[in-house]
Amino acid sequence: MTVAAAAVPLLEARALSFYRQDEPVFAPLDFQLHAGELALVEGDNGSGKTTLLRMLAGLLHVAAGELHWRGAPLQRDACAGEILFLGHQLGLKTDLSPRENLRIAAGLCGCREGASVEDVLAAIGLRGYEDEPVRRLSAGQRKRAALARLLLLPATLWLLDEPYANLDRHGIALVNGLLENHTAAGGAALVTSHGAVSFHGGEPRHIRMHS
Amino acid sequence: MSPRLAGACIAVLRRDLVLAWRRRSDIAMPVLYALIVTMLFPFALGPEDSLLQRIAGGVILVTILLAMLLALDAMFASDIEDGSLEQLMLAPQPLALMLGMKILAHWLTTALPLIVIAPLLAAMLHLPAAVIPVLLLALLLVTPLISLFGGVLVALTAGTRRSGMLLALMLLPLCVPALIFAAGAVAAAQQGLPWLAPISWLAAVLVLAVVLAPLACAAALRIALDC
Repeated sequence: MTVAAAAVPLLEARALSFYRQDEPVFAPLDFQLHAGELALVEGDNGSGKTTLLRMLAGLLHVAAGELHWRGAPLQRDACAGEILFLGHQLGLKTDLSPRENLRIAAGLCGCREGASVEDVLAAIGLRGYEDEPVRRLSAGQRKRAALARLLLLPATLWLLDEPYANLDRHGIALVNGLLENHTAAGGAALVTSHGAVSFHGGEPRHIRMHS
Repeated sequence: MSPRLAGACIAVLRRDLVLAWRRRSDIAMPVLYALIVTMLFPFALGPEDSLLQRIAGGVILVTILLAMLLALDAMFASDIEDGSLEQLMLAPQPLALMLGMKILAHWLTTALPLIVIAPLLAAMLHLPAAVIPVLLLALLLVTPLISLFGGVLVALTAGTRRSGMLLALMLLPLCVPALIFAAGAVAAAQQGLPWLAPISWLAAVLVLAVVLAPLACAAALRIALDC
């Protein structure tokens, strides 16, 4: 029974595609993502990485092909809260502090067990900036404030669009550490990046996008 | 309502109120606009009491409608820009309810200050003091209607650039029936006639709008962002 449950992929795409004005944004994609797996979405600029992630998050409709979540066709209501999407727009209110932003996120999506806003802010490297309005933070610090949601919210699948952008070397190591812990705990993640990324954990899966 | 859902509602409402408070000057704009526009009428028409009294109800209602329109297109604009709206849509909460909270916050920060200064506007146009409670009651019913209609239209035009003018062109015709009933109630009160019927109609439409508008707003936003 448990073996069968483990064999069902968390997320499965079959001939998935998206059209914009009847033009396919990317060639049909097939991939499976199991719990504990990390997949790297690779492709040139404009190859549809962001579009794919937005579609997986449920922000865009599935134009062609099928998308399955835990073996059943993906429905927004069924997987809401289990999927965490972090895009180019960080979803931070610049007039509010990182602490206030995180409190709102926790209020909307709930908290991971044992996680608190204070601990998460310290862990993400924003100690001392908790009450500074986000608009006064640097681009890298803003990114960290957005990444703090990964630690705080209880999600199984992370969809991260360019999580390394604007981060310094420590920040990149931090994201890698987060991804390792998450996959080790049975979560899964889909990451887009065109920079060279090295994970300390096992070799990540690669999903290549072709236009 | 489960505690989680109530907590999420409060989180959204609180966030929007705190944000509005941090930008207090934006709250003052529609209020100043309404004050100045109302002040123009005695200058243009002359300080004749009977004339001003006759037009006072209508002028105040139209002025407040236009003042609300000024602040309307900001309802979701910043949320779309910084990605907060995406996060709201992905949260495991009913989107319609969350948007309802946003519309409520918008009403509290734009319409409520206008209602507070409405007696002052009424005094500037020599509206009899006895009519002011009816005017306030009509405003309390009309302004949420404008916020709710406006919320749906702002959601519909969310994807387009420079949606302000388009919004006005779409919203103003929609507000005509509400305006007729509200002005009718004030005019009836001024003439000493019963004014409860138009107020009841407004209340009935408001109940309908409170239920349906957030649903329409959620559907419209999903469509607007799905491209």
